[in-house]
Amino acid sequence: MANVFAFAETRNGDLRKIGLEAVTAARKVADETGGTVDAFMAGAPGVGAHAGQLATYGADTVIVVENAGFEKYNPEALAATVAERVRGGNYRVVIFPTSALGSDLAPRVAAKLGVGLVMDVTGIKLDGNALIVQHPVNIGKVIATVKIASQPALIGIRANMFTPAEKPHAGTVERAEPVGDPSASRVVVKEVKLGGGAKLDLGEAPVIVSGGRGLKGPENFKLLEDLAAAFGNAAVGATRVVTDEGWRPHSDQIGQTGRLVSPQLYIAVGISGAIQHLAGMRTSRTIVAINKDKEAPIFKVADYGIVGDLFEIVPVLTAAVKEAKSRG
Amino acid sequence: MTVGHGMFILIVVLSLAFFSYNAQRLIRYMMSIGQPEIRTGHPLTRIKNLFLVGLAQKKILRDAVAGPLHASVFWGFVVLTIGTAEIIAQGLFPGFTYAAILPAPLYAFYILSQELFAVLVLAAVGMLLYRRIVVKPRRLQGDKVHSGDAILILSMIGALMVSLITLGAFGFALHPDSSTIFQPVSLAVSHLLGGLSAGTLELGRETSWWFHALLILVFLNYLPYSKHLHVLTSLPNTYLSNTSGPGVKGAMSYMDLEAEGTEQFGASDVTQLGWKSLLDSYSCTECGRCTAVCPANITGKLLSPRKIMINTRQRLMELAPLATGDFGEFEHHALVAGEGGGAGDASVSAALANTLLDNYITEEELWSCTSCRACVEECPVSIDQLDIINELRRDLVLMESRFPPEIQPAFESLERNGSPWAFDPGDRAKWAEGMDIPTMAEMVDRGERPEVLFWVGCMGSFDDRAKKIAVAFARVLQAANVKFAILGQEEKCNGDPARRMGNEYLYQMLARDNIETLDRYGVETIVTNCPHCFHQIGNEYPQLGGNYDVIHHSTYIEKLMDENRLPLNGEGKALTVAYHDSCYLGRYNDVYEAPRETLKRALPMMTLVEPPRNHSKGLCCGAGGGRMWMEESVGKRINLERTEELLATGADVLAVACPFCMTMIGDGVKAQDSSVPVLDISEVISQQLGHHS
Amino acid sequence: MKIAVCIKRVPDMDVRFKIAAIGNAIDEAGLKFDMNDFDSWAVEAALQIKDKDAATEVVIVSLGSDSVQETIRKALAMGADRGVELKVDRIPFDGLAIARALAAELKDGGFDLILFGKQSADSSNGVVGAMVGELLGLPVVTSISKLELAGRTGSAKREIEGGQEFVEFPLPAVLTIDQGLNTARYPALKGIMAAKKKPLDVKPAQLGEQSVTVVKMELPPERPAGRIIGEGVSAVPELLGLLQTEAKVI
Repeated sequence: MANVFAFAETRNGDLRKIGLEAVTAARKVADETGGTVDAFMAGAPGVGAHAGQLATYGADTVIVVENAGFEKYNPEALAATVAERVRGGNYRVVIFPTSALGSDLAPRVAAKLGVGLVMDVTGIKLDGNALIVQHPVNIGKVIATVKIASQPALIGIRANMFTPAEKPHAGTVERAEPVGDPSASRVVVKEVKLGGGAKLDLGEAPVIVSGGRGLKGPENFKLLEDLAAAFGNAAVGATRVVTDEGWRPHSDQIGQTGRLVSPQLYIAVGISGAIQHLAGMRTSRTIVAINKDKEAPIFKVADYGIVGDLFEIVPVLTAAVKEAKSRG
Repeated sequence: MTVGHGMFILIVVLSLAFFSYNAQRLIRYMMSIGQPEIRTGHPLTRIKNLFLVGLAQKKILRDAVAGPLHASVFWGFVVLTIGTAEIIAQGLFPGFTYAAILPAPLYAFYILSQELFAVLVLAAVGMLLYRRIVVKPRRLQGDKVHSGDAILILSMIGALMVSLITLGAFGFALHPDSSTIFQPVSLAVSHLLGGLSAGTLELGRETSWWFHALLILVFLNYLPYSKHLHVLTSLPNTYLSNTSGPGVKGAMSYMDLEAEGTEQFGASDVTQLGWKSLLDSYSCTECGRCTAVCPANITGKLLSPRKIMINTRQRLMELAPLATGDFGEFEHHALVAGEGGGAGDASVSAALANTLLDNYITEEELWSCTSCRACVEECPVSIDQLDIINELRRDLVLMESRFPPEIQPAFESLERNGSPWAFDPGDRAKWAEGMDIPTMAEMVDRGERPEVLFWVGCMGSFDDRAKKIAVAFARVLQAANVKFAILGQEEKCNGDPARRMGNEYLYQMLARDNIETLDRYGVETIVTNCPHCFHQIGNEYPQLGGNYDVIHHSTYIEKLMDENRLPLNGEGKALTVAYHDSCYLGRYNDVYEAPRETLKRALPMMTLVEPPRNHSKGLCCGAGGGRMWMEESVGKRINLERTEELLATGADVLAVACPFCMTMIGDGVKAQDSSVPVLDISEVISQQLGHHS
Repeated sequence: MKIAVCIKRVPDMDVRFKIAAIGNAIDEAGLKFDMNDFDSWAVEAALQIKDKDAATEVVIVSLGSDSVQETIRKALAMGADRGVELKVDRIPFDGLAIARALAAELKDGGFDLILFGKQSADSSNGVVGAMVGELLGLPVVTSISKLELAGRTGSAKREIEGGQEFVEFPLPAVLTIDQGLNTARYPALKGIMAAKKKPLDVKPAQLGEQSVTVVKMELPPERPAGRIIGEGVSAVPELLGLLQTEAKVI
């Protein structure tokens, strides 16, 4: 029987989607052997109001730690508290999200407990006493199957791999206190800045919409800005020709002599695909090309290409993305 | 001995002593400040250069206007120096004349030559002054170019000529019986003096003689304080130069990275340059021909090869007196006016703290260089401006790791992937898939040897456009039944980008890897469509022990045509084609005709047109010297300047013979919204392939 | 200041990997190895502190086989003072085992800062830095993209989903470095020459027990070849569908 501990990440008093994914993953593992799922959530007083949601996604028990010291991420106190709960819980598996918070927290807990940890897990399977996980290595070019023999086995799941699925369980709320004094932590998060329309950096944006000579002039980059805005998490880049012409600032250049990027999605608009440009973006996970010349080299590296007039295609794509985003 | 005679002897002795002092001082500065270099080998080549470039003024004559004018002055000077010797000898040994030692016809020829060249020089000096003062060509302009110096020198030369004529004329007027038709100008002028008294005529003759003789001595002693020092240094400089051989044209100097105790790589100051670079700086006349042909300068960048030379000289003159203990000379600078900034009147401590790099020549200038070699090609006195630029770049990279940030990825990819772009080396041979082209490894496995190795290069391997060139050339080879192989994954960048960007360490790493691979397969003959690979492997690998017969594809295709191995269909439209010369093919290797010839033979109905700048005067595409991997944000883009020129010929097709030129000119054509195709010569040939009849 | 930087030697990622015959490792034949990028930024961060305060000593620690000496020398060429190789035959996958070996070496070093890259490109696990901090009982801040030190206090910026966290911490501390903090300097030949003379100690690594092991490595299914899905605006709905269902990027 495999009991599983799931760390349900919260931010600003709300559960994060990846927290639900952790509970979903935990439920799956537990169900393989008829085990139970303990979900853990911590935050400022009031965060426990969301405990019911964790029950909906499969938590048998929801451990709620409410403390003013947990309003913002408090790595040292949180790690101590989680480690204490895990130590006393006889869990086979402990699941964290592979998020900025989870990636910071999980190794602290693993070190405290002296157990094995694998982050960025894309698949989980129990095998006797061990846990077998899938974990992409070498920037995703190789998939490793990794065995964790420790009890418990700690993992961090990759975002978007375990789609939250409702599976209501009791979700008995169990209140708990922090271990140690949260206000005595040495590492203190002083301030958190979220979104706020700050321009996404090309190196960090999950989506990049990039334009080349085909845009014909600086004024037409509005089309790309609109498309980027429709994605919400996109930045606008450009080719060397464009920055040389002064249509966009030099800092926007993507390519060998500019920024080297590899976002989840790269949309190349009116870009022929010179070697200097390809060298800077070809490792992007998914590449879309829109170009009027079907012989353009960009189509050789693109996963999906549309041949045609970008001035017609881009506005339609923008509208479609907007609609898809509003639905999803 | 008269008082005048005694005085003259004294003046000659004093002025020669002063001149000798300055001459030894300049030589001492050069030899003690500069690094040792051996420049005495291959005397026959050096003598040839001395005759062609020095005496025959081959390079001076590249400028159709100033060329003949300067050549006139030069040849005049050579001829008139014989007369000058006579005049000085007369001063020392009164009554001396060549007539006493020469047979009459030869003496007559001698005096006629003096007359004619005096007039020729006078005419040329007049025109040069007019040019300098009225026309003011752009290349003679510079921030602090010594125009006053030039006018002074030209005036002195003019005055020497005038006094030479008046000397003869007063003499003939005084003693009409001595008149000779072999001095026609003096004779003509003497008729104008008919009315003057004997006393006046004698005074005129005496004055002319003294004026002429003294001016010669003044001129001689002025030279070490003037850019006109070239009058003395240009011939030795040409003799000692390697810019037209001996050795390989344009090859960067060998650098021993393993040498014990070496702590300086490249040069950041004049003390780290070879003495020949310092002699080059003495020899610069600030004519600006180098700067006028510099693609960076033409398009508005900071680089000026002339300034590199002037400022090298300025720095030498600032540092050398201090370094050699000539503190007195430090106080009154000679030859120190620099062009565009520089330190100038520095205190001793500032002068010691200064360096050529940064205080006189900035990073920005150095990184603008495309290494196109146009400056070196143009310099009438065989100065090697590029050598200084290369040495300073080496210091920047090897000693200080200072370079435009955008080339770091290129360095890192070269190190990790053996290509300036971060592509998988495993994909090198992808362009050849389905073409049945064996790799060297495969061929050796079958126990066979190729006729030639096709060196594809990184562009041909990874650049989509250049891959088509590789395919076209491979088709040409296949059509001619040439048994060839490629290295595939085992090929690495030849190292030229790293070397030209100053990264000798990385260059040698790549070159040694390639040499190891080539030698392992016993490769002897290599053909390549990339002029950079061609130049580097053929001309610079021997420095590291790699000796191969490397042939550019243009030459190789021409050879296949000569041997009737290429089945051409002989068809073709009446096209107009403009060919763009690659620097590393042309100026570095003198391959000008093979690409043109192959085009003509493949397209019998074609008309070949030339842009205004062609052959050895061809304008760079802008990609050389590592510029391919750098930003070009100052001024006009070089590739645009060149493309406009090529398109203005009205050609239907632009032909190139280098994959880097292809990128630059191709981009230029796109930027012009033109649809004129840019083709590599091998693509033109491959389109004309037919069947052997 | 005394700073330790822990670095890892990793293969170049611009290639297509092959799986070794033993099945649970990649075939290293023909691969080029270099310092992990994140680690090079950690080295740079240490050197920038040293640039301002010449009294700073920067010590490079790397766990690996003798080939890591080349990577340590690179860090020394960049300007670090000395190196320590913690010798193992093969770098294990278990982050905790690595962290224990490193912590044993670092424990009595008297370091004010211990820097790590955020994660290695090959293992992509990103746990060692925080584990070492925890084992040493030091404050840890991970994934920082901005760092300021004032006396014995530091402040850092961490990138989080959709924003940033601004964190304060006391020294000594363990930090892991994210992209964006700096660009690593390129070692000059002068530095490479100087690095040859810098001390590099080799010690056996105290790895201890490992509970995490790689049992298999395989290549992911080939990405379907790129394709032109259509012409003009009529292709947009199909594109959107593919981005949602096949590429899963929307």
